[in-house]
This record gives sequence, C-alpha cells and structure tokens, in this order.
Amino acid sequence: MNEKTTLPVKLPIKEPGAAHSGLSDWYWQRLSAVVLAVLLPLPFFLLVSVYGGSVDQQGLLDLLDHFISRLLHTLLIAALMIHVYMGLKVIIEDYVHVAGLRVCLTGAMLVVMTGFGIWWLAIIWAWGG
Amino acid sequence: MRERSVNNTRPLSPRLSIYRWQPAMIASILHRFTGLVLVLFVPLYLWLLHGMTGTAHHFADVTHWLHSGFGRLSLWLVGVSLMYHFCNGIRFLSIDAGWGESRDAMRNSARLVLGLTALVAVLLAVLLV
Repeated sequence: MNEKTTLPVKLPIKEPGAAHSGLSDWYWQRLSAVVLAVLLPLPFFLLVSVYGGSVDQQGLLDLLDHFISRLLHTLLIAALMIHVYMGLKVIIEDYVHVAGLRVCLTGAMLVVMTGFGIWWLAIIWAWGG
Repeated sequence: MRERSVNNTRPLSPRLSIYRWQPAMIASILHRFTGLVLVLFVPLYLWLLHGMTGTAHHFADVTHWLHSGFGRLSLWLVGVSLMYHFCNGIRFLSIDAGWGESRDAMRNSARLVLGLTALVAVLLAVLLV
C-alpha cells in the first residue's frame, strides 16, 4: 500500500494526454459495442447451426450471399475492428510498460487486424478469399 | 523525465496485486479476458468460413472438425466468452448511462452476470457433449 513514495508529488491529471481528448475513443468504443451486441451473436448462431446440421452448405451459401447479409457482415467487420483496436490498445497500454515495445505491439496489432479484416471482406463479398 | 519512475512501477490494471478481490473487479478482468478469447477466435472463424464456403469436400471437413473434441471445446469457449462479454458489456453500458452506479448495484449486477454466464456454460456443455 506504500505506493506514494514512487509517485511524483503532482500528477498531471488535468491534461487529457497526447490526443488532447478522451471523448472520441470512449464514444467510438460504446457505439461499436452497441452494433456488436446486435450483430456479433449472428455468426456464432450460424456456426452452431452448421454444427447441429440444421443448415447445410447450400443453405449457408444462400444466407451469406444475400445482399442484406453482406451489408450486415461489412458493418460487423467495421465495428469489430474499431472495438478490437480500442480494447487491445487499452490492454497493451496497461500491461506493456516499455514505450518502444508498446508502440511496436500496437502497430503490429493494427497491421494484423487490417489483414484479417480484408480476408474476411474477401470471403463475404466472394472475391475469392 | 519525471514520468519514467512512474512507468517502471505502474501496477497491473485492474489493481490485482493491490486491492482485495471483489465481484465488480472480477467482472472487469473477465471482460478483458473474454474479449481476448473472442479476438483470438476471429482467425479460426475465418478459417472455418473459408472452408464452409469452399467445395463440398471442404464443408464436410469443417463439420467434421467442429464435431471433434477440440472443435467442440472451441465452440464452448467462444460461446461462453460471447455470452459473458455480451452481458457484461450491457452492464458497462448501463453503468455509463448512470443506471446501477451505486456500489451495491455494481456488485449485484456483477454477480448476476457471472451467474448467468455460469448457467450458460453448463447448458452449452450439456448441448455439446
């Protein structure tokens, strides 16, 4: 509990950090959360339906190829990328204390995430992924 | 350079090593953990989606894998994580909206979310075995 000794006397709490604002991230995280709460259970139910055998391959393709489904899937991918970026960023910022490593990890995460996002879109819009 | 001494001694967040374990704190750390599980499931899901939209042979491979021990374990883990992250996410949103902000309400809602998830974990296990 003797934490005081390691902290400086005055903490610059009034400064909102390098972004000069905290609202944007906070707002986007919650907006994407609402979108995901509606859309994210759908792929899970799809997977369970395939597991249970109530949806065969033709049924699955009919579902996925529908325009509404492609639109919702694209929305899901966008919301997921925003949400995952913010969530993982906060985890990295909390547990990785070396600044250089933190920046590298956040960057690598962004690159890997974009890659998976494009792969996902390619499958959904049937570009051949 | 004042910040350097702070960085090196920054405690884990949520303050696992400092505070006593409480329902609200467990809810918070589990939100991170289940979020991480869901992120890690994305590459696996894309691999499954790639297989399911491929040839009939690929589709059969995917359903075969889903019914394997590891496949069923993955379905269980992602289902439970989704359930938890979904419920606790709604709990977080309601707290952000100012509803259920008191200490007792946060404790009770954390218990409710943990209880619901435990129930779903058992149900899903029964369904998948």
